Amino acid sequence: MAPWLASGFIYASALALTAGGITLLYMSTRTFNFAHASMATCGFYVVYTGCALYGGAPYRYLPLAFLFGALLGVICYFGLNRHLLRRGAAEITLMMSTLGYDLILLSVIQMYCDYLTFGLRLYPRRVSMSVYDFELFGTKAASIILPLIAIVFITALHLFLVKTKFGVAMRATIENPVLAGASGINSDRVYMTSWIIGGGMASLGGAAMAMAMTGTPVMGMTTIPFMFAGAILGGLHSLYGGILGGFVVGMAEYAGVFALSKQFGPWVLGYRMGIPLLLMVFIMLVFPRGLAGIPWAALFGRLTGKKRGVSA
Amino acid sequence: MTGAEGFISKPKGFLPRREIMVAIIVLALLIFLLMNRGMPLVLTILIQIAIFAIITMSLNFEVGYTGIPQFGRVLAVIAGAFAVGAIPGRLLAMFMGLPWGASYANNAVNYKLVPQLNEVLAGSWLLSVGFLLLCLLMAAACGAGIGWLMSRPAIRLKEAYLGISMLAFGDFAMWVGHNWEPLVGGSTGVYVPDPFRVVYGARFQVVVITIFVFALLIYLFINKLVKSPFGRSLKMVRDNDVSAAAAGKDIVKIRTQSLVVGAALAAVGGGLWVIYTGTVTAFGFSRLVFTFWPWAFMMLGGIGSNTGVVLGVSLLQILRTMITTYRFQLFGFLIAWKIDPIHLDHMLLGVVIVVVVLFLPHGLVPENVEPVLPANRVRRVITDGLEPSKPAVNRPLS
Repeated sequence: MAPWLASGFIYASALALTAGGITLLYMSTRTFNFAHASMATCGFYVVYTGCALYGGAPYRYLPLAFLFGALLGVICYFGLNRHLLRRGAAEITLMMSTLGYDLILLSVIQMYCDYLTFGLRLYPRRVSMSVYDFELFGTKAASIILPLIAIVFITALHLFLVKTKFGVAMRATIENPVLAGASGINSDRVYMTSWIIGGGMASLGGAAMAMAMTGTPVMGMTTIPFMFAGAILGGLHSLYGGILGGFVVGMAEYAGVFALSKQFGPWVLGYRMGIPLLLMVFIMLVFPRGLAGIPWAALFGRLTGKKRGVSA
Repeated sequence: MTGAEGFISKPKGFLPRREIMVAIIVLALLIFLLMNRGMPLVLTILIQIAIFAIITMSLNFEVGYTGIPQFGRVLAVIAGAFAVGAIPGRLLAMFMGLPWGASYANNAVNYKLVPQLNEVLAGSWLLSVGFLLLCLLMAAACGAGIGWLMSRPAIRLKEAYLGISMLAFGDFAMWVGHNWEPLVGGSTGVYVPDPFRVVYGARFQVVVITIFVFALLIYLFINKLVKSPFGRSLKMVRDNDVSAAAAGKDIVKIRTQSLVVGAALAAVGGGLWVIYTGTVTAFGFSRLVFTFWPWAFMMLGGIGSNTGVVLGVSLLQILRTMITTYRFQLFGFLIAWKIDPIHLDHMLLGVVIVVVVLFLPHGLVPENVEPVLPANRVRRVITDGLEPSKPAVNRPLS
């Protein structure tokens, strides 16, 4: 695989996970989660600490990163989000509350980096995680393993949402909270679960993202517009749309920069942020409801001759 | 009758006390710093307070009075800063016959060129004042232009979409400034000719006074504007855009006007900041400093309350400076762990946002709820009822 394609795969699957987490949280709790930035960075530092102190491949520490992100999500839910949801706070207030949480986490991450630097003599402020990676089929292992992990995780999430009783209850709460509450579903537990999954996805995505780029304490802070762009591209109304949107944004950035820099020279690299931005603006103007808002079922239904809306 | 009294007098008796209390705390902290650390630190704090008060007031104008989720404040600030960095210096260089094209922003040229411009400015009062006004005019014009541009694709979007797209635009502007060297020198930045060279010795004090005068003017301007019919229609759009549209208000137009005015004011703030520091470096204009901090200030002060916002900026800026100034005395336990307490800065802002959201949703100084009719007329309507001889519906609305 070409290097840009390998990095692009890693980055795109990381963005798919994080954008999916943002979409899930927005769908269930109406919260546009700014704290995804620092949750992602936390996931990266969990993996980095494991690799630097105990050695081994970074993939061993991914479950730990997921659990840590889930813990952060639960803290955010019980400390902050729950009270605001009960109060019926506006969307902007919910957004701002997670921004406060994000800044607190950022400060903790910075302090932890100080501790790693001066206490343990590591260099945590500019980390290239790919040195811990190995070769697989002649390319970076991460470019094969991480997309696989993302696919497995998303499949498991899909099965959880479709096959288990709690998953069905969760979808019911997302569709209509009042009706779900009337039929005896504990919405509190549903929100907590979505924070667990959303936070875990953020951390997992952050850990994956660090394999494609330089890991810094502000890694999440600099990449959060792309995560949001992915979520908005997906339309914020469908989990799979968010995942697809994140993947498209990530791939478009790497492929676009590769193609343009071949054409015009390396100065294009500095403006790489414009590609996801243009994509986002274009999608918002043409399909205001995002990728998931395009009537795929109708399109394919016309091709296959099936009627629309039966399985959806 | 008691109902009427309660309805009219409650906000009036309640609010000024809190404003005065917060102001007293701010003054006490300032005096404490003045006695302990001396004048230079206090002047630095005052400059930061004034600049961030301008930016936060403009943010409050859009968020608090119009209800636009402005998460891209940094974009307008960047517009002002880049305008001051790029345009007035070039004009001056052009008139003096110095290089003013793309090479003006080149670091090797710029660091020799700007001292020459400073020499010229230092010689003439008229030129200096004119240059300062030109800078601010450029900043305001560029800010208004970028506010208008930003409003085009974004104005019809829903809350979260609008906020996020503006956030992304702000980041993109920073990257453009960082990468496109002819604009403001790319990663090395450019120097800004200093219109305060004329006052030898007392430059710092004059800068403080000038910036304060501009902050005061903008404060009075927003106060006036909000009480005008235009301000009332802004609040109408904020409170219920459907009813505003039903009353014949063009919502898109009102929102666009609000974005343009707010962006122009924020750009003036950015321009003043750049004139004070003397350099423009694109990376200095991060989303954290020029979007998220003003949001924290505004939430602490009270969204929709112009006075509260100024007090919020003052209180939080003083607390931030105190953390950095007294970090060795206050946070010795962190130093024992080899941790630099300077990172507590973000922690302070985060905690302030969380505490305000949870326990003080209306901020330190809540918005002053004013009835549209004068108080005595409201009282008469409530106590006497609508008299049948006087039909009250003859007057058209607004």
